[in-house]
Amino acid sequence: MTIVQEKPSEETFKEPQYPWKKVNPSTSLANSIIVLLPISVFALSFFLTDLPGALLFIVVFLPVQILVAIFATFWGISKKRVGDAVLSVLSLVAFSLVIALMGSVLFSVFSRGLPAISLSFVTQNNTYISPTTVLDYGGVGHALLGTLMVVAIGMIISVPLGIASAIYITDMKGRLSGFVRFMVQAMSGVPSIVAGLFILAAFILSDVSGFSALTGGLAYSILMLPTVARTAEEVLKLVPKDLRDAAIALGSSRARVIMKIVLPTARTGILTAVILGVARVIGETAPLLLTTSNTNGTNLNPFVDAVSTIPVYIFQFLGSGYPTAINRSWGAAFVLMTTVAILFAIARIVERSTKKG
Amino acid sequence: MSTTNNLIDLEGADHLSDSPTPRYFGREKSRTRSDKAFSGSVVVAALSSLFILVAILFYLATSSWPALQKEGFSFITGTTWIGGLDDPSLQVFQIWPMLYGSFLNALLAIIFAVPISVLLAIFMVFIAPKKIARALTIVVDVLAAIPSGIIGIWGFLVFTPVAEGWARLIHQYLGSIPIFVNNQDQFTRSPFITAWVLGIMIVPIITVVAREVLAQTPQDLLDAARGLGGSLWGTVRMVALPHARGGIVGGVMLGLGRALGETVAIYFVLNLIFERVNYYRILDPEGGSVASMIIAKFGEATPEEIQALLGAGLVLFILTLIVNLIANWIVARSARERLA
Repeated sequence: MTIVQEKPSEETFKEPQYPWKKVNPSTSLANSIIVLLPISVFALSFFLTDLPGALLFIVVFLPVQILVAIFATFWGISKKRVGDAVLSVLSLVAFSLVIALMGSVLFSVFSRGLPAISLSFVTQNNTYISPTTVLDYGGVGHALLGTLMVVAIGMIISVPLGIASAIYITDMKGRLSGFVRFMVQAMSGVPSIVAGLFILAAFILSDVSGFSALTGGLAYSILMLPTVARTAEEVLKLVPKDLRDAAIALGSSRARVIMKIVLPTARTGILTAVILGVARVIGETAPLLLTTSNTNGTNLNPFVDAVSTIPVYIFQFLGSGYPTAINRSWGAAFVLMTTVAILFAIARIVERSTKKG
Repeated sequence: MSTTNNLIDLEGADHLSDSPTPRYFGREKSRTRSDKAFSGSVVVAALSSLFILVAILFYLATSSWPALQKEGFSFITGTTWIGGLDDPSLQVFQIWPMLYGSFLNALLAIIFAVPISVLLAIFMVFIAPKKIARALTIVVDVLAAIPSGIIGIWGFLVFTPVAEGWARLIHQYLGSIPIFVNNQDQFTRSPFITAWVLGIMIVPIITVVAREVLAQTPQDLLDAARGLGGSLWGTVRMVALPHARGGIVGGVMLGLGRALGETVAIYFVLNLIFERVNYYRILDPEGGSVASMIIAKFGEATPEEIQALLGAGLVLFILTLIVNLIANWIVARSARERLA
């Protein structure tokens, strides 16, 4: 339990100081009771009754743990710290729950997705493949290319707009900058399905275009724009004032200060903004179901005809329900997760290299 | 930089702080023509969010207008959905079961997620050793970065069997309480399970905001609490939580917006019932969600039905816009109060 902290570490003057971290360290007996008693009660009730363990955890372990923590604190430390004991137990439960949930998601994607992965799965497309075809044939190659295409189109549209919004808010500080900020915030709440419906209504139903990677990219750009703008804004704020001052003192124009000084200084941060924008959309299924539709073959023309993407591939095979199809879904989920992980790894590496340099 | 920070405006009171980027240039006095062109194009690009929002409203409203006009107000309040007929005049499109279902799911998700998120934030800020707190920040970021499609497949194939067991237990021991009644002997695909899946999606959103505002509790206040002999619980309850309340409420509203708009994950874990409202029996395999209905109906929809689906999208858009604006307003206002 965390009621008793380890020996006080040396505190620099900047560190926040929390009063409850100074606890008289004479409470090891109370500590061991707190740790051992609930577990033994839980174990006893688990072996002596035939109730399921999960239920016992909630109705036996947790209450006993909280009670024991209260008593141990009451006798061992101070009457005043009884609330601390309950808070510690509950927040540790929240902590374990979140770790367990995240672990479960990652572990199931890894353990169920990895067996489906092979060279052919990543490179082949879905032509002549039915939901019951064995995993040796067919794969997500066409969907991977489609996802990259749709994301690239989304990027081409949303990155300039997002960076321009950020420049307007931080550097130009025009009359409308509060308003632009507000609009970007409002846009970050647009549900992905609504972005898809909008593109459907504006382009596909009004016969401007058919289902294509382009329409999917347009829908993605609506979802990416606020993320890119928000992150870029944070990044541009970090560009030192001195640099701007110096450039202006040398007589640079507004355009030159921004293009030659501010943006190059912030380039790695802007790359992070772009990556976060991509990570925000890459797994979105709903807008693509409405705007790119789906196809089994490889379609490399972004302007004409339906294109397959990984989220839609997962959706398609998960919906069919056959065991092999579900394995395909897990495989595609693994590919998607790996792509996101690679993107975040790049973002971290870039971030770290800028901090050092 | 935290991955999820960009979702939320944590400062909101920028104009009060000592901004590092003062405005250097007069608005009207760009010197050269190219400079003017540059500023002009930046302004136009910066206003793109406004254009897009207006365009969404315009296109959804105009293209769904025939359906909305035909149904009138009962589009929202009615409980009938008859589509797929050749004769358009016999089709009826009303979305109340879905709309109510969206709210029920989101509300339950918040009930599940808020205690977890706030406790987690308290743990990260006040209890955990630095290293664990830092690791936990990464965990929360990773959880926020997991694509919703993957949460969907996980929720459908991994989480549902586990949650089904829990639902059975709850029904077995607490079945006499009306909300836990279930007469169908099927415990999967219920609002209960949906809400947990949604809760997992919004925990990172609320946690990031709550952690941020709790960490901003002024050191003087913490010191004062210490000087008065306050315990951790006392300090959290009397100092940190009141100080962070506005920010946390704003974060919860952001989570609510996200929960209302989630589509594919709900489509897989919830049994959509279009013509009957399941008001409170959260363990029953019956529920609704506007966003998931759009996906479920889109494939075989008649042209009139597509108009109705666009109308449903319009309702969803307006709802999430309102929720999101209230959320940002609350976060910004509480940030301003903290600074003042």
